[in-house]
Amino acid sequence: MKHQLTQSVLQYAGLLGVLLLLIAVFSLSSENFFQMQTLVTIANSNPDLIFVSVGMTMVLIVGGIDLSVGSVLALGSAVLGVLMVHYEWGLLAALPVCLLATGLCGLFNGMVSVWFSIPSFIVTLGMLEMARGGSKVLTDSQSLYIGRSIEGFGEPLQSISLSPAFLVAVGSVIVGQFLLTKTVFGRYLVAIGTNAEAVRMSGIRTAPITVAAFVISGVLVGMAALAQTSRLSTADPNAAIGLELAAIAACVIGGTSLMGGRGSVIASFIGVLIIAVLQSGLAQLGVEDATKQLITGAVIILAVLLDALRSRFGKSDA
Amino acid sequence: MSELLAVTGMTKRYGSVTVLRDVAFDLKAGEIHALLGANGAGKSTLCKMVAGLTDVSGGQMQLGGEPYAPADKPSAETAGVQIVQQELNLIPTLNVAENLLLTRLPSRFGIVQHGDLHRRARAALDRLGLSDIQTHTQVGRLGVGRQQMVEIATALDRQCRVLILDEPTAALSGSETERLFEQLFRLREQGVGMIYISHRLDEVKRIADRTTVLRDGKWVCTQPTREISTDDMVDLMSGGGTGMATKTASARCLGPADAPVLSVDSLTCGIVQDVSFAVRAGETFGITGLVGSGRTELLRAIFGADPADSGSVTVGNRDATRFSHPADAVVGGLAMVTEDRKQNGLLLDQSIRSNTAINSLAPFFSRCGVVLQQRERTAAQSMCEQMDTRCTGIEQIVGTLSGGNQQKVVVAKWLTRGADVFLFDEPTRGIDVAARRRIYEMIDALASQGKGIVIVSSDLEELFETCDRIAVLSAGRLVRTFDRSGWSEDAILQASFEAHRSDAART
Amino acid sequence: MRSAWFSIALLVLFVGCSSKSSTAPTGGDQDASPARPKVALIMKSLANEFFSTMADGAKTHQSEHADQYDLVVNGIKDERDLSRQVALVDEMVAAGVSAIVIAPADSKALVPALRKAKEKGVVVVNIDNRLDRDVMESESVQIPFVGPDNRAGAQKVGDFLATRLQKGDKVAVLEGIRTSFNAQQRHAGFLAAMKQAGVEVVSSQSAQWEMSQANTIAASMLSEHPEIKAILAANDSMALGAIAAVKSAGRADDVLIVGFDNISAVQSAIRDGKVLATADQYGGKLAVFGIETALQLVNDQSAAADDVETPVDLVTAETL
Repeated sequence: MKHQLTQSVLQYAGLLGVLLLLIAVFSLSSENFFQMQTLVTIANSNPDLIFVSVGMTMVLIVGGIDLSVGSVLALGSAVLGVLMVHYEWGLLAALPVCLLATGLCGLFNGMVSVWFSIPSFIVTLGMLEMARGGSKVLTDSQSLYIGRSIEGFGEPLQSISLSPAFLVAVGSVIVGQFLLTKTVFGRYLVAIGTNAEAVRMSGIRTAPITVAAFVISGVLVGMAALAQTSRLSTADPNAAIGLELAAIAACVIGGTSLMGGRGSVIASFIGVLIIAVLQSGLAQLGVEDATKQLITGAVIILAVLLDALRSRFGKSDA
Repeated sequence: MSELLAVTGMTKRYGSVTVLRDVAFDLKAGEIHALLGANGAGKSTLCKMVAGLTDVSGGQMQLGGEPYAPADKPSAETAGVQIVQQELNLIPTLNVAENLLLTRLPSRFGIVQHGDLHRRARAALDRLGLSDIQTHTQVGRLGVGRQQMVEIATALDRQCRVLILDEPTAALSGSETERLFEQLFRLREQGVGMIYISHRLDEVKRIADRTTVLRDGKWVCTQPTREISTDDMVDLMSGGGTGMATKTASARCLGPADAPVLSVDSLTCGIVQDVSFAVRAGETFGITGLVGSGRTELLRAIFGADPADSGSVTVGNRDATRFSHPADAVVGGLAMVTEDRKQNGLLLDQSIRSNTAINSLAPFFSRCGVVLQQRERTAAQSMCEQMDTRCTGIEQIVGTLSGGNQQKVVVAKWLTRGADVFLFDEPTRGIDVAARRRIYEMIDALASQGKGIVIVSSDLEELFETCDRIAVLSAGRLVRTFDRSGWSEDAILQASFEAHRSDAART
Repeated sequence: MRSAWFSIALLVLFVGCSSKSSTAPTGGDQDASPARPKVALIMKSLANEFFSTMADGAKTHQSEHADQYDLVVNGIKDERDLSRQVALVDEMVAAGVSAIVIAPADSKALVPALRKAKEKGVVVVNIDNRLDRDVMESESVQIPFVGPDNRAGAQKVGDFLATRLQKGDKVAVLEGIRTSFNAQQRHAGFLAAMKQAGVEVVSSQSAQWEMSQANTIAASMLSEHPEIKAILAANDSMALGAIAAVKSAGRADDVLIVGFDNISAVQSAIRDGKVLATADQYGGKLAVFGIETALQLVNDQSAAADDVETPVDLVTAETL
């Protein structure tokens, strides 16, 4: 047991090191960074990226990629907005429809790419445009102000300062990691990502598993839509442009392989935190925009590099 | 004859593990020098160092009297050392001509000269008698045997002084092998030195001038081949005493002939035409034929990997059916050990444990979808012991095992899952003597438990040793079935060519 | 198990470091801050010349008045990255600024975040893109807008264009992002001017404020309605896109183009006669106007938080 615990600490040591290093650097250089309110703000600002990264990790592990997450998030947001503003539905009635819509987008992505053997890169690229168009059609290209009725999910709870959205997002990380490491489904995901043909020849139906990964990603994007819409109080058809790249970056920082077969939900979560801390810290310093981009890019590469060095080191040790 | 290549003190370490220790070896011009050893003995490592594919941890090399230390494969090639590796190194999406001349495409101002390219490729193929391979064909569309020949043609086409061949005949048919040998003899006359690695001892006996045996990374002996018998070779490789004795048929208890455990009726799928046979409980049924005769295709059709067009498969007393997906076949009581373990048998980046358990997780090692890890580990552990898999533990990554041990993991996966009928496609291709022995024992044990066994193999010795009956495919049709009393190498070869000859007779 | 441990560890990390620092204020800077207020300027994309000019103006102003206030400038990578802009507001509040001057990426979605900032005692001033009145009302918050009247500016440009057109001529409009207040205002200003002059708008599409999209859309407008005499672009980037489209359609001589914002590239285009007119809302000073208003409010809590209108002027070949 003890050995296992040390191993798991080691597994994330590099990533946590980068995260703590960033926090330390910003704490030293910005007077107000190392504070409850800053850290809580970072947590409460990013549940959408956490949800999306959990789903993205699963899709990447099974050997796919989901480029449509940002647009599908906007679609989910549009569904929430239209139902709650134009039809005056309550949140509890609108949310299932939102999750259904984003889940169906995931189902479409998965089914088309599996059945017709089209790379998911292409299918989700198409979905990226379709869902964006759909969200604009639904909202008539207007952002819809929803107001208080949706704000509760994204607003910090009095007692712990963290929002329900962040807590649920952390919950999705825990469930996601459990699913990935402890269940048959998770094992199949990793196996399919490693060698789909070998899994098929072992007598396992790979298609439903792969499709399920996309559906999970879709539903989590729906949760992200709720988190973001609730934080903005507004359904925005232009929401989350480029979110797919942020999510992929978080996963890759966390050591998830773009070739499939390797990845960890927890590590992706730490990847999200690294990106979020970096963004927020640089904003507090008021660094030039160009410099921000340079630093962000460099940190992504550094984190991936550290991970690569660590695993190489770990291997030669064994 | 002068010494063309001489290496001394060759040592290779990976971390703290020494895989090759202080090996001396020499090759004369115009000599075929066989390198023998069980898998993991260090043959491939030695060759890779000579060919510049891996760095040298210790030792010196001399080529033609000059010090020789290739930094990489291209510099070894410049020095005149060519290697044909066991794994195919062709690019499947390029055509035959492009692959043949990949590193030296004839070009003018960066534009490939197609006419020249195909002319030169054609000449290279014709030299090997491969007139039926079109230079425009995409390599991925050729069968494995054909690809191997293209690979060999690629190496032979370059100017070389030393040619290294690592298991070149593993995927070749008899006639292809013959043509290859003719080429090798021709090169020998031209003074090329060749290092030849093979598990086929009769080939070694036939073509090699000298033989060097390695064991556990150490040099054992170097002798003129005519002075040692194949039995001696096995003794030297395995460390003495345990030479492979050909097992005589143990009188097995076969199940009733009227209630076979597997019956295949008029199965048709692509090249496979109207094949029918039945296997009794406890029986080992061999299938052989020339490369391209549809052996692998037949097994895949039975297993549902490529759904059959017509016909039916019956397992035990279940209903006759035609499997459309391997998942159905597994539920229906079939298991299949595939030919290409790296492509579709194993998850190379995963542990032995994951590989052993992958298709048993759902039925045996889980509750409500959650993996019961203790049970999984115990099963993998006991499989490792039962198969005598050489590993550091069940968490070792399968890709780092030797070929023989990888194959044991594939077999272990199916033993864990369990089945009524086991289909083996080339179960011992490219694996060492000890692992091969272990797998034969497993097959034997399965048969005595009353399972049905089907083995596809191009190695007749293997079939003679393991099978009760041997069927011969020729051009997709099952032409003859022999039993122990009736088979002989000659008779099987005759049957293999049957379809081709009747074609010839018709025209 | 492992996952649970890690999440807990991270939460502990968050709570742990925050409690430590909140009890121990840090040194001299903190003491100095009440004397010199810190102003956060939150922009849209600083890759857009219009906003970077505005930010540069603010920085120059700050360096000239360094004794009066500190300035932190932040932008978002993309005009539409709403979520990030809301997070920036939260982060600036967390960083303890006295005032936020913001050019909102969306006129509605920023309101709740700004309300929360105000509730924490931060002065908020709205520049560039006016926040939605109805949403402010339902959030019961009042945020002063300091900036030009885009509708009036667009109408000036439109009126000038109308002097070169005949009654019954046909024109096309390139709109900005439709959710933005400025886009709506400029669009309304253009339409009003055209209606007054009796000119027909045959096509009006959004090119998302972007040059390349404007190029594509303008090109298709020209092929669908070859009869159009002018293109009205809601900003200068899109006007530049329209120039390229007109040029490749071989219509450079007979299609007039107008823009908005007076960026430097368009100034040279006006001199070359490729663009007829644009409007100058003194972009370089817009942020400064906002900062000045914010400082006033910080220094004098009782001052009325009223809207301030800043000038918009027509720019043509004659005025340059």
